[in-house]
Formats: sequence, C-alpha cells, structure tokens
Amino acid sequence: MTPVTISSLATIIFAAIIHASFQLSVSVLTLLSGHSIGKKTAQRKIFRMSNSFVLGVAMTTLLLISSISYFLSLFIHHVTSAEQLVAAISSGMMFGLGIAIWTFYFRRQPGTSLWLPRNFAEYLNKRTKKTKNSIESFALGIISVIAEIIFIIAPIIAASLAIITLPNPFLQIISIAIYVIVSTLPLFVVIVLIGSGRSISNLQRWREDHKRFLQFASGGSLLILAAFLFVDRVIGVISYGGNLW
Amino acid sequence: MVKPGQIDVIKQGKRPPEEFSPDKLHNSIIATCLSVRTPEGQAQDIAKTVTLGVMNWCETHPEITSADIRRQAQRIMKTLHPDAAYLYKNYKTII
Repeated sequence: MTPVTISSLATIIFAAIIHASFQLSVSVLTLLSGHSIGKKTAQRKIFRMSNSFVLGVAMTTLLLISSISYFLSLFIHHVTSAEQLVAAISSGMMFGLGIAIWTFYFRRQPGTSLWLPRNFAEYLNKRTKKTKNSIESFALGIISVIAEIIFIIAPIIAASLAIITLPNPFLQIISIAIYVIVSTLPLFVVIVLIGSGRSISNLQRWREDHKRFLQFASGGSLLILAAFLFVDRVIGVISYGGNLW
Repeated sequence: MVKPGQIDVIKQGKRPPEEFSPDKLHNSIIATCLSVRTPEGQAQDIAKTVTLGVMNWCETHPEITSADIRRQAQRIMKTLHPDAAYLYKNYKTII
C-alpha cells in the first residue's frame, strides 16, 4: 500500500466516524421506537420498521457519497490542480462546520434538541408519530439524512475526495461500503439496545448526559480532519510529486 | 371519567384555544408508560391517577396552556414512574 492509499483509507474511516457522531437520525429512530412501543406494536414489526429506517439512511448516504465521488472525479480529472482546490475548499468548509457544531449543534436547553428550526423539528416529530409501516420508516430515514445534509456534507466530501484517489475501483467500492456501514453503526446500536429490552428513557437520558461531549467530539474531529486534509491534500500533494494518480 | 367544567387550553401561535380533554391526556400518559415498557395494567393506573391529579389542578385554573398540563402531569407522574415522567417531560426535546 502506498502512503496515498493509507492516508485515503484513514480519511474515509475518520470521516465516517464523524458522520456517525451526528445525532438527527439517532433522535428520529429513538422517537420512532418510542412511539411504536407506546402503540403496542409487535416487537417484530418494530424491528422491521427500524431496519427500514436504517436502510433509508444507508441508501441516501450511499447515493450521496457515490454521486459526490463521481462528480468530484469528473471535475478533478478535467481541471488542473483541481484536487488541491477542492481539498482547500472542503478544509475551509469543515473548519467552519466544526466551529458551528461547537456553537449551536445542540440547543442550550434541557433534552437533546438539535439546531433544526423548531417548525421542522415539530414536523419530524409528527411525521415520526404517524409512521406506521416499513415504507414510511424508509422515507423517514431518507428525510433524516437530507435534513442534516448541511453538516454531513463536509465528511462526505472529505471521504469522496479520498475515495477517488484510491488506486482501483474495487477498493473504491469497498471504501464506500465501509463509509456507509460505519456512519450507520450508531443506528444499529440503538436497534440492538431497544430489541434487547432497554428502555427508551435510559437511551435518551444517556444521550442527554453525554450531549456536550458528543458535540465537542464531533466539532473537534471536524477541525482535526480539516487540518489533516489541508496538510495532506493541499500542502502534501507537492510531496507526492504534484499528482496523486 | 369525571368531566371537568369548561377549561380552555391556550395553544401556541395563532391556533384557537381548545377545550381540555382528559381522554387525550389519559391516552398520552398510557402511550408514554408503554414506551418505557410498563405493564399495561400499571400504565392504566398511572394514567388514571395523573389525569385525576391534573383535573384537580385545573379546577382552580380556567385557562391553561399545553405546557401547564405537561408540567403538572410530569410532576404527578414523577412519584409514580420516574422513567416515564422523564420521557413525558422530554418528548418534545428529543429532536
């Protein structure tokens, strides 16, 4: 493995971990499970609905990362020094988003209210309450990713940039799969915990107790990734001989 | 269930006030209790106690808000089932 491949794989995994630390999908899944249990829905149906939700999240993430990788590869292969340009822009973006996460990702009030406009959060709340089957859960998963796109776009661009510099298509596909699996891991953890009989209020209490740490970790990790991307892909490209391919 | 006199619940924004519905409160308490895997019989008992408690409180307040109902219900529920009370209180702040 060349240093470029190693740094690309590290970037993809780190970006996926940052993506996984974002909370909207976890919040919606917690709420969905709570409503379903409250309505005396059969455990098997709750499991099916939760899995459909995760499938919706995974599918949207997959489509986003694949399309961004595709467009970046087109752009970078046709414009001189485009990789440095894209890396510099995404570093700046991640730096800004890292600070934004530290500042307002969670609202300053009890609970785990996110930065979302309250009208939209209320809409999601109502939508979650009305969700009764797997298809609606799947759609809810899609909405929860799209609603948080302003934050998840940064790690997705960083990962896409790393994916297109991998030496062969097989490795690229594997990397996309790794990204999707790692970024949806917290949702699987929630499904397992709820499936094993853990109370929703315990989950929510844990999230509330650790929200400041999660906020600090997400924001800080984005800043670290921004710095790494800048050094590796903007300054460091010169040390690879000015071309990553 | 005892029907309260005319008690208006003031709604947020420009929505018109609506009459206080003990059944609505009762159902939401049951759903919350079931969400934290409380047995159904216990959930029914808690919901009955909480609803009666809130109705008693309402007698001295002809106009109340949804937040008042939630606060009072949570206060009564806390002694009966702290987990359910926590979820009931934080229901709107999960997202």
